[in-house]
Amino acid sequence: MIKEKDHEIVFKYTGYRREDFSVCLGCKICASVCTVNDLAQNVNPQELLMKLFVGEKIEDDHPLVRYCTSCYRCTTACPWQIRIPEVVRAVKESLGMESRFEKAFKKSLNIWGRVYEPFVVAMTALDLLKGGYIKYMPKWMGYAGFHLPHKVKRIKPTSAPKGLNPSGEGRS
Amino acid sequence: MMEYGYYPGCSLTGSAKRLDQGVRQLCKKLGHILTEIPDWNCCGALEYGDRNELVSISGENLEKARGMCKEIVVPCPACYKNLKDADPDRSFNILSPLELLSVENLSQIQQKRDLKGQVFFPYYGCLLMRPEGNSIKNRNIMEDVISAFGGEVNGENMKDRCCGGNQLFLNKWATEKLSTLILGKTKGTVVVFCPFCHMAMKTFAEGRKVIYLTDLLLYVMGENNSL
Repeated sequence: MIKEKDHEIVFKYTGYRREDFSVCLGCKICASVCTVNDLAQNVNPQELLMKLFVGEKIEDDHPLVRYCTSCYRCTTACPWQIRIPEVVRAVKESLGMESRFEKAFKKSLNIWGRVYEPFVVAMTALDLLKGGYIKYMPKWMGYAGFHLPHKVKRIKPTSAPKGLNPSGEGRS
Repeated sequence: MMEYGYYPGCSLTGSAKRLDQGVRQLCKKLGHILTEIPDWNCCGALEYGDRNELVSISGENLEKARGMCKEIVVPCPACYKNLKDADPDRSFNILSPLELLSVENLSQIQQKRDLKGQVFFPYYGCLLMRPEGNSIKNRNIMEDVISAFGGEVNGENMKDRCCGGNQLFLNKWATEKLSTLILGKTKGTVVVFCPFCHMAMKTFAEGRKVIYLTDLLLYVMGENNSL
């Protein structure tokens, strides 16, 4: 559960300020286009924004946090183009709800600087076995192939990260 | 002839190798020169909650490209979105290979085969179309390609729906439901440009072919023997 005081990390992650959500008109157009509702989950992204705005608790296992596909249909429909998938993603990370697959992805990036798929498969092999993915293997043969990992020399960008205000004063 | 920087992205070195090979071959045929950004790193895909971190990761790639090229061809839609997000001033021109195609230059392609009225469903998915400001310029380019070479287009109203590809290894029932919803309302060969969409559609399409647009174009140009 994200408590009120932990909301700050969501704002820090997304670059949005609390007051950025005050513009929400409550039109719920985000809910009407949300892909998660095609899964019969009855979610309302606007409600999540309001919880962040007024400082209410966000429960673990929120269906939007679990199933958001980052399709950005909500953003396109929103009169303010709020990037709700990025807010959801930040909430997911704050709740520590990342799956083993997502952790393996990031671990690979930390080791090599790239996602090395054989490593991710090895790290999640048990989940793939338990999850019944074996039956898809005949269809996935076209994706198989082996190459050795390439270790990337990482650099630090010479300029400040772009795309948001690094001083934390919200998005431009 | 044009020269571009090239950012393949991680999946194009592995599961989407076919797209990488297709893009390189297609660009060569169109007379474009692609030069890979040296030592590029992962763009972070959709796996980071901290936007600062995500933008910084993609910013590294732009730093590596700086001084080398102004125009970067990026086939993977997730990488395309992230590199654009990391460059709000648009100091680079981030291009999907789809943006190298236009109605005008399609007529210059030497057509060796015709699609003979075969039905295709051009499926763009999410990140080539959204968010606003990040999408490709011609949102009908795959339809233009299919029609130009004698194919029939199907599924206009489903072309930008979500297949749930990024949930495939988290909640596969969700991907199955979303993909089959799209497949059920369309017909013909599914033509994609996204590695996520390719895998989701391939996994759940029963008896339907799933191909990249590059496969279709190379077939028309007489390169691939079958679709």
